[in-house]
Amino acid sequence: MEKKLLHFTLNGDPKTVAVKPGRTLVQVLREDLGMTGTKRCCNSGACSSCSVLVDGQVVNACSVLACQVENKEVSTVEGVAEGGTLHPLQESFLDEGGLQCGFCTPGMIMAAQELLSRNLEPTAEDVRHQIAGNLCRCTGYVKIVNSILTAAKRMREAQS
Amino acid sequence: MMDFDVTSVKTLDEALKALSEYGDDAKVIAGGQSLLNILKQGLMAPEILVDIKGVAELDGLQIGASIRIGANTSHRTLEDASALDETWPVLREMEHDLASVQIRNWGTMGGNLCIADPTGDPAPVLMAYDAEAEIAGPEGKRRLPLEAFFVDYYETVLEPEELLTAVEAPAPPPRSGVAHEKFRNVEGDAPIVVAGVRLTLTEDHRRVEDVRIALGGVAPVPIRALEAEKVLRGQEPSDEALAEAAATAPGETAPIPDITASEAYKKKLVRVLVHRAAGRALERAKGT
Amino acid sequence: MKPYSVLGKPIRRVDGVEKVTGAAKYTVDVQLPGMLEGRIFRSPHPHAKILNVDVTKARALPGVKAVITAADTLKKPYGNWRRYEHLLDEYPLAWDKVRFIGDEIAAVAAVDEDVAEEALTLIDVEYELLPAVFDPVEAMKDGAPAIHEGATVDHNVSETRHIEYGDVDEAFSRCDRVREDEFTLHPVAHAAMEPHASVATTGFSGRVTIWTSTQVPYYIQILLAGALGLEEGKVRVIRPHVGGAWGGKIEMFKDQYCAARLSQMAGRPVRLEYTREEEFATTRRRTPMKYYLKTGYMKDGRLVAKEARTILDGGAYNGMGPTALYLTGFFQAFPYSIPNYRYNGYHVYTNKSPSSSMRGFGGPQAEFTCDSQLDMIAEDLGMDPAELRLKNSMTPGYEIPGYCKVASCGIQECIERSMESTGWREKRGKMPHGKGIGMGCYGFMSGGVFNWINTPYAFSGAMIRMGVDGFVDVYVGSSEIGQGSDTVMAQIAAEELGVPMDMVRVTSGDTSICPPDLGAWGSRQTLMTGNAVKMAAQDLREQLFEVARGMMMPNIVYAFEAKDGRIFLKERPKRGVDLFEVVKVAVRGQEGQQLIGRGFYTPHGKGMVSPAFSFGAQVSQVEIDLETGKVHMDQVTTAHDCGQVINELGVEGQLEGAFVMGQGYTLAENLVTEEGQVLNPSFVDYKLMRAPDVPVKFESLLVETFEPEGPFGAKEAGEGLTNPNAGCIANAIYDAVGVRIKDMPITPEKILKALEEKKAKEKA
Repeated sequence: MEKKLLHFTLNGDPKTVAVKPGRTLVQVLREDLGMTGTKRCCNSGACSSCSVLVDGQVVNACSVLACQVENKEVSTVEGVAEGGTLHPLQESFLDEGGLQCGFCTPGMIMAAQELLSRNLEPTAEDVRHQIAGNLCRCTGYVKIVNSILTAAKRMREAQS
Repeated sequence: MMDFDVTSVKTLDEALKALSEYGDDAKVIAGGQSLLNILKQGLMAPEILVDIKGVAELDGLQIGASIRIGANTSHRTLEDASALDETWPVLREMEHDLASVQIRNWGTMGGNLCIADPTGDPAPVLMAYDAEAEIAGPEGKRRLPLEAFFVDYYETVLEPEELLTAVEAPAPPPRSGVAHEKFRNVEGDAPIVVAGVRLTLTEDHRRVEDVRIALGGVAPVPIRALEAEKVLRGQEPSDEALAEAAATAPGETAPIPDITASEAYKKKLVRVLVHRAAGRALERAKGT
Repeated sequence: MKPYSVLGKPIRRVDGVEKVTGAAKYTVDVQLPGMLEGRIFRSPHPHAKILNVDVTKARALPGVKAVITAADTLKKPYGNWRRYEHLLDEYPLAWDKVRFIGDEIAAVAAVDEDVAEEALTLIDVEYELLPAVFDPVEAMKDGAPAIHEGATVDHNVSETRHIEYGDVDEAFSRCDRVREDEFTLHPVAHAAMEPHASVATTGFSGRVTIWTSTQVPYYIQILLAGALGLEEGKVRVIRPHVGGAWGGKIEMFKDQYCAARLSQMAGRPVRLEYTREEEFATTRRRTPMKYYLKTGYMKDGRLVAKEARTILDGGAYNGMGPTALYLTGFFQAFPYSIPNYRYNGYHVYTNKSPSSSMRGFGGPQAEFTCDSQLDMIAEDLGMDPAELRLKNSMTPGYEIPGYCKVASCGIQECIERSMESTGWREKRGKMPHGKGIGMGCYGFMSGGVFNWINTPYAFSGAMIRMGVDGFVDVYVGSSEIGQGSDTVMAQIAAEELGVPMDMVRVTSGDTSICPPDLGAWGSRQTLMTGNAVKMAAQDLREQLFEVARGMMMPNIVYAFEAKDGRIFLKERPKRGVDLFEVVKVAVRGQEGQQLIGRGFYTPHGKGMVSPAFSFGAQVSQVEIDLETGKVHMDQVTTAHDCGQVINELGVEGQLEGAFVMGQGYTLAENLVTEEGQVLNPSFVDYKLMRAPDVPVKFESLLVETFEPEGPFGAKEAGEGLTNPNAGCIANAIYDAVGVRIKDMPITPEKILKALEEKKAKEKA
């Protein structure tokens, strides 16, 4: 199959990549663009480790045909920190111990980022519901939920 | 494995033209949340995908006296649509718990129905709402009740040059309540059995005027438990009547045993879920 | 109150920033120029002779750069059992037979995934199918197909284990009561988020460098060198960040061998990453067991005698199964004082993927059976199950002559505190039908005394160097696999040296830089590597104190202390000097040599199993949906004795993660095999717990004792915590609805069926 040019924005930067039609977004990110922060773990949309944002919505990059992000905005974990400053989510994950091996962490952060962009006052149940698609084998999810709730609190406080 | 071409179309006409041109060599992709896995495993090997995700006229909800759900409408759009709360609240409830947020954002209602997985959440709820499928093809559009849309495991009535364009459902009759119940052992998992029930009461609330009992995961396609419905129709809406209807439903099913559950257990779940959904539907009907 | 500067505090992980920004590189992220994609060709048959392997067409496919079969290997058996060679039954690639669906026959390296996949389809293998056997009890019978001819004790039994102390038969004869039960434990998968993966490159000098996802870089170094016929020094193993392991990565796997061998043949780097399906179906699984348990006791609740027998379903190769076989027998007697005990275990081959080590290493199986039976005994006696446990618990200083000595032991406090915190006495046996509370207890090893790998080196080594720039570099061979070992080592070094945490850098996971270490298994690293680090730090401290004495010239009676960046007189803390000033003086004083501290640790004379044991009690509360049998986990409280807590966040994280893994083990996970075929090799069909499944209320009670053998008194907190979950949940279910399920997993279907049978019995 011949490659076609794909144009999209990645963490605010315009990108043009030549890709075969059957490539998924996770392949383009990791292999063509070297952005290995997004993990490929099950390649079947069941674990959400590959979560990224497309036009602000969290999706599984392994289950998105790359050509379908033409002219869209893609955000990955590498774009979450601003300049040299960690995002409140990242600080909270560190303070609350919301990560161990870290493999699911990028996906969790992207899913959390989508939640907090819509609702800065989530309940613990809201958070568990938002990350229900994200598998973690290490933490038992407890400190991940704590991390996201703490981030929400800090972001609310920063706003006021 | 993923060695196919993709043609991304912008209008319904372009989509139909592409399907006519490619016929059996083509498969339609919208969000691909089910289709991509099938392609990755090599279970299907089309030459080309007709990507309809960008077809704006297939996207969106029109809410009025009836509801029209464009085939490209994402599950997330439905989950977020508070405008549904007044007349079709269970659509939102069902979407809230469907798969994962990632799948809900990119996957579409049309894609879900066209994959025809009998354990899908939407079909029994849409059937409880008396939904119809609208199909477009080279000869124009046609409509049929949603239960007739499904033919077998992972098979619908769609011909290769046809496209599901929308699902429409009327407002439920007055004094109606709808409920959705499902069972799975872990959260985020596909349901083992899923039920969508609608109860409509007579004006004096003393009898069941009409009922819909739709089940998924118990047969090759989502079914209506017609005998169970007969048991309830015209009866007093007592708990005994609901229990009797619930006890009738398993006999109309033919669940396949698999590693998640035996046939016997799935049938037990049918009874429990129908009973619970009917009970909640009744409470809601009473509340109207 | 211990005046520690960094220990026992909730400290940020030292590798955290990399991980939350996506900068952390795992093996699957390693990209080298010219890298090829590797794939493995696997047997579709559970048991067959290999008559011929033809790879000519695969080799000829454009884009394929190397193909290997057994003919390209040394055909030498390999494995961790270097000291017990009769247990080595695995070859780098199958040459005579295949013994499970997925057994590795050949491997290819090609320019990309697609070409590699296509090359696999071009490999032709001629098989002579053999009858297969899938059940271990069947495999032990006369006439069962022999899976490894000549390599067994008897009829597919590859190894047995025996433990005995006291006088078991005599003891049983004087017991008031005896009860016997049979249990079945099922296979589950490690399901680490990062699959097995390797990137290997062979330089023109013949040196092999391999990045790999492993718990044991040192083992991979020596095993890979052996399998390739190279000196150990010619293999360098780099362990990047690891996305989880849980005992599934403590052996050499085929991706490691094949990536290395292919890179030798192709002259280019080769990457081999297992697909999720391969991960589930062809790596390792937790050891399934048939468990027979007999316990003799007195009317007053004293446990007097115990006899256990297990038949372990080993799968096609030994793996670390024989160790699980031993440990399940050993921990069956924990954490209670049972003076008379006998255990016999049988490791049996079957034609399925091998079962091996997995978090708890036989302990979860032992405690499920032990805790279940104890509750049945308690009911028989009309005694509260927690009181029964308290009555029989081990105490500090408990000894099993010839087997182990338990120094620190906080089990009684753990039981009491968990009872108090959960309101046990008000709830047990008193909650409404459908709600219940249950307990599980455990004791677990802090590292094993076993040297089956036959290393000549200390079990752990550490080197620390201090620079005039104020930085402390710690070099250890321990493996950070998410559990937080790098952070613990940094804390121990920082505490002992008296420097702030942010001045400490830990380098682990590169065999050409770091000391050999047995790696992350058996919950050994905090105690063993930690001791090595403490010793190295002490070495450095002494060097610094010597110089400080010269600088300060105090009265000879004073002792020195190091804390918070200062070196000072213990009894006169105000008199001191800046620590890094001392470093500068010391470096000058020894002609500019860097200050280096060395440490090492190997347990000596510590019995048959471990130098120290953690203990704990877990209480969970459940609510059962009486119509569907579904178990809702309401809350769980765990009281864990790990001696001195080094990192509070770390211990809690282990506790919570372990429980959820145990919850999955008990209620939903199951690697289902039919005729040797794994039916659910995906996250869709293999049911892991998700965020909405876990208990809303999680309580961690950290019970501090002091373990003399551990660094600062610390013991393990990683595996012991998986031991009590199944029993704890099973006992809570029994309290809730009065049904006891003895064959795992405890599914809603089984509970519902048991409830119906119970109802029918009561009616009759």
